[in-house]
Amino acid sequence: MQQEVDVAVIGSGPAGLAAAIKAKETGAGKVVVFERAERLGGLLDQCVHNGFGLLYFGEDLTGPQYRDRFIEKAMDLKVNTELESMVLDLSADHTMKVASSKRGYFSLKPKAIVLAMGCRERTRFAIGIPGTRPTGIYTAGQAQRFVNVEGFIPGKKIVILGSGDIGMIMARRLTLEGANVEAVVEILPYVGGLIRNEVQCIHDFEIPLFLRHTVSEIHGYPRIEAVTISEVDEKFNPIAGTERKIECDTLLLSVGLIPENELSLKAGVKLDPLVGGPIVDEIRQTNVSGIFAGGNAVHVHDLVDNVSWESEIAGASAAAFAKGAKLPSGKIKMRPGRNIRYVVPQTISGKEDVTLYMRVKEPENNARIKVGDVMTTKVKLAVKPSSMEKVDVSASELKRLKEGTEEIVVDCVTKEAA
Amino acid sequence: MSVHETEVLIIGGGVLGAAVARELSKYKVDVTLVEKEVDFGWGITKANAALVCQGMDCLTFRKEYYRSKLVWESIPMMEPLCKELDVPFKRIGQIAVFRDMGDIRPYSKVKARQEKWIPQMGSHQVLDKETLRNWEPNISRKFIGALYDPVMAITDPVKLNIALAENAEQNGVKTKLGTEVVGISPGVDEFEVQTNNGNIKSRFIVNAAGEQVDKIAAMVNADDFVVFPIKAQMWVLDKNVGGLVNHCVFAFVNDPPNMNLITPTVDGNLLIGVQLLLSDKRGDHSTSREAAERAIRYAQSLVPAISERDIIKSFASFILFRNLETGWHECIVRPSNSVPGLINVSIGFPGVSAAPATAKELVRLLSDQGLKLVDNPNFNPHRKDIPDFSELSNGEKNQLIVHDSRYAHVVCRCETVTEGEIVEAIKRIKAVGGLATVDGVKHRVRAGMGRCQSGFCRPRVISILANELGIPEEEVTMVGGKSRELLYKNKELLEEVNKIATGS
Amino acid sequence: MQREVNVICVGCPSGCEVTLTIDDKGEVTKITGNRCKEGKKYATEEYENPVRVLMATVLTQGSSQPLLPVRTDKPILKTRLSEGMRVLARVRAKPPLKAGDMLVPNLLNTGANIIATSDLTS
Repeated sequence: MQQEVDVAVIGSGPAGLAAAIKAKETGAGKVVVFERAERLGGLLDQCVHNGFGLLYFGEDLTGPQYRDRFIEKAMDLKVNTELESMVLDLSADHTMKVASSKRGYFSLKPKAIVLAMGCRERTRFAIGIPGTRPTGIYTAGQAQRFVNVEGFIPGKKIVILGSGDIGMIMARRLTLEGANVEAVVEILPYVGGLIRNEVQCIHDFEIPLFLRHTVSEIHGYPRIEAVTISEVDEKFNPIAGTERKIECDTLLLSVGLIPENELSLKAGVKLDPLVGGPIVDEIRQTNVSGIFAGGNAVHVHDLVDNVSWESEIAGASAAAFAKGAKLPSGKIKMRPGRNIRYVVPQTISGKEDVTLYMRVKEPENNARIKVGDVMTTKVKLAVKPSSMEKVDVSASELKRLKEGTEEIVVDCVTKEAA
Repeated sequence: MSVHETEVLIIGGGVLGAAVARELSKYKVDVTLVEKEVDFGWGITKANAALVCQGMDCLTFRKEYYRSKLVWESIPMMEPLCKELDVPFKRIGQIAVFRDMGDIRPYSKVKARQEKWIPQMGSHQVLDKETLRNWEPNISRKFIGALYDPVMAITDPVKLNIALAENAEQNGVKTKLGTEVVGISPGVDEFEVQTNNGNIKSRFIVNAAGEQVDKIAAMVNADDFVVFPIKAQMWVLDKNVGGLVNHCVFAFVNDPPNMNLITPTVDGNLLIGVQLLLSDKRGDHSTSREAAERAIRYAQSLVPAISERDIIKSFASFILFRNLETGWHECIVRPSNSVPGLINVSIGFPGVSAAPATAKELVRLLSDQGLKLVDNPNFNPHRKDIPDFSELSNGEKNQLIVHDSRYAHVVCRCETVTEGEIVEAIKRIKAVGGLATVDGVKHRVRAGMGRCQSGFCRPRVISILANELGIPEEEVTMVGGKSRELLYKNKELLEEVNKIATGS
Repeated sequence: MQREVNVICVGCPSGCEVTLTIDDKGEVTKITGNRCKEGKKYATEEYENPVRVLMATVLTQGSSQPLLPVRTDKPILKTRLSEGMRVLARVRAKPPLKAGDMLVPNLLNTGANIIATSDLTS
């Protein structure tokens, strides 16, 4: 890198692209996006289904369509991109070590950095499924890449463990491509993803859905031949005697996403154990000065529109930092209270408008989100863990905070519980 | 039908078979090594704790055991061997903890015997509670002390296996992978061995067939030994917790033959286990939930910070015990009583540790049986491994890139493995006559061994394999045979329906 | 003869199961189970005209990209989706193509066209 880099963005998915564009729009000089794959767009590349951009653009776009809008803008604004470039190391003083197919191995020290690496999928060992270790077991995202980018259908008789959005979307995708999805197996008593997907991916195709079940054993070698599924108790342990064997040649896993945090850890960024991603303030700065984060690398989103909006905050902050501006810092801790799993950002300044993102722990009806004594939202007909909640809190509402407040508790309250 | 003639046929390309092959290649002997899998090291060799140890049981039991002799002779040979072959070797030492005063007696017996029988192997040291805590800060505070063995080391058995086989091949051994022995006919001066790849005529046979050692021997009624198959299960933990212990940590348990050990691996992971159970389902390498739960409980009793969430992989293999009454087993390294020219080899435990001396012993036994040993003046003991990119300096990295730009393309993010290394691995597999597969690449350069378990790199590894082998992607396999990764091409299933619907 | 049809509304996380009572002329006479009026509207539309956007990929010819993502530019009846997929199985996309270009006009006479959702280069 001949010229010094003002903002380095790690990842060119929806988070990275949005951050890079906003950084340029808010005056950053040299903005470089580092992407380990061969093309820009991250996972949008493989998301041929629609549902992207309903909020951001007011249009119903597919993944590639959403991606191209941002790529076009990035090119117009002269954002630099480095493809097949993997960031291998990152330190708190901003030294970045990169392995690039084109340029070899090199180091650089950008003024500001945005972590936009997205997340990775949990594996079969992470959830401890015993049995054999054959081929034919893929994570849903991996299978999506095979089907939508590489051009292969992994098998003909598919069982899907996990009813998160990606699992359900692959159920539909594989059925449409001619495979038989024998079952979608979900450990919770309700589907893990959006209702829209439950209807349009599972019910539309009459795919058997086993709630409160899990895969308790894998059979077959060298290719998977069957799975045993079992009902589970309240502690999620398989109940003896409820086993059922389902023949299959492929098992897809949609059992959880974890923010990519290797680089964050290397740079000394503190992570939020409730979320898996960095602790950030309202301008998306981590505890390391000049290192910002946005998108799935911070917390797993359901809607790409929110990923873009959140990452724009990170991008703008990075640009301001690179220019030497003094940035507001969040000192007030946001603590998850009743039926709230987590809140992002984890700290706020209390002086500016802020959008709080959160997820509930359990589904509830007729609930409101109560942000300390600052404000309470309107009644929501239903809240579910699979649907991220957004609460806009204005600066004037925040004026209600008592002087010296160190913590705000966010609760989910219902008429019964209030 | 092609007939291949050789002087010594080694059946089984595990670490033992490969060690014998390499040892024989020091002489002008025509050697053929056959292995039924399409690559080396996929049997017992890949599913063990990777320890290079004296075998504490050798010290708790009888000195006269042949197995003890072979292990003790091997231990000092291992480090120089790994150096010659460019195989990882780390002398980390073992700490055997005292759960209570009751453990002191058996351990003091071990220490006394070690000093009397194998004084050349350093001295066990007794650690008190405070020293133990200093050496292993994460270990449970309940242990009252420990016995420290400074000699214990770790290696990578599959890499050792591959290195031995590559070096043997470089020195003239013919390696035939994907070759399964289906029958043996003894003749006057030689055996005629039937395989799925043609027949082989050989004067001598070394039966080092690992899990199938009894099956091979039975083909010529030379199975004058009894094996009790014991399934061993182990679990690998994330590198994030790799620093929880500095040595191999071991404790007696109340339900032998299960073992309770936690050991670092040469790559920085932790390995826990070993859960053992008698099992007659020989081909079944599945791991069970109960075994995993027990192993985690045991591991937590040693290091409380360990959690089942740290597990990234499990595996299983069969150890063949010969004499179950005594609880331990004597190895089988002897010419058959009934069939001249056939030597059966089965170490059991610790197999990797005993390989170097066992190989030399086998050469001696073959010579006793009439094999002429003339030195091979061209024998080259050195072999270089594929460069491990993640370990090189920036300067060294950039030098390699000038040579081949694929060394700059990182394919496996978790383990930092480049396309250059993967291409080199495929070349090496071809060079020893194997079939390059996803697992073959994995064992040589670690692509897919990280915490995402090939979630990111698998499609790319498949693509590179297809490219290098000149085959379509859908023919790439995990382990050869019926293990294609991708069963159908896009639209293939729909076309089947179209043909039925429209008749075209 | 009346019959009942259940429809899950996808308008919000409630996922209300809306029950429609249908008379023998196929008309909706009663709607229950919805917790807001959007649910009524959605359930009726979903019963009378259940449509979906078809999103998939087609094989390419003459490109290094093996697949091109495509979609219908308008939703079509959900009962025609699998037939639509079988038509797409025989389509080959040839470069150069721009996102938005039409590949199949009036798929299965539904009035919806199949368009590319990404560029295709050689």
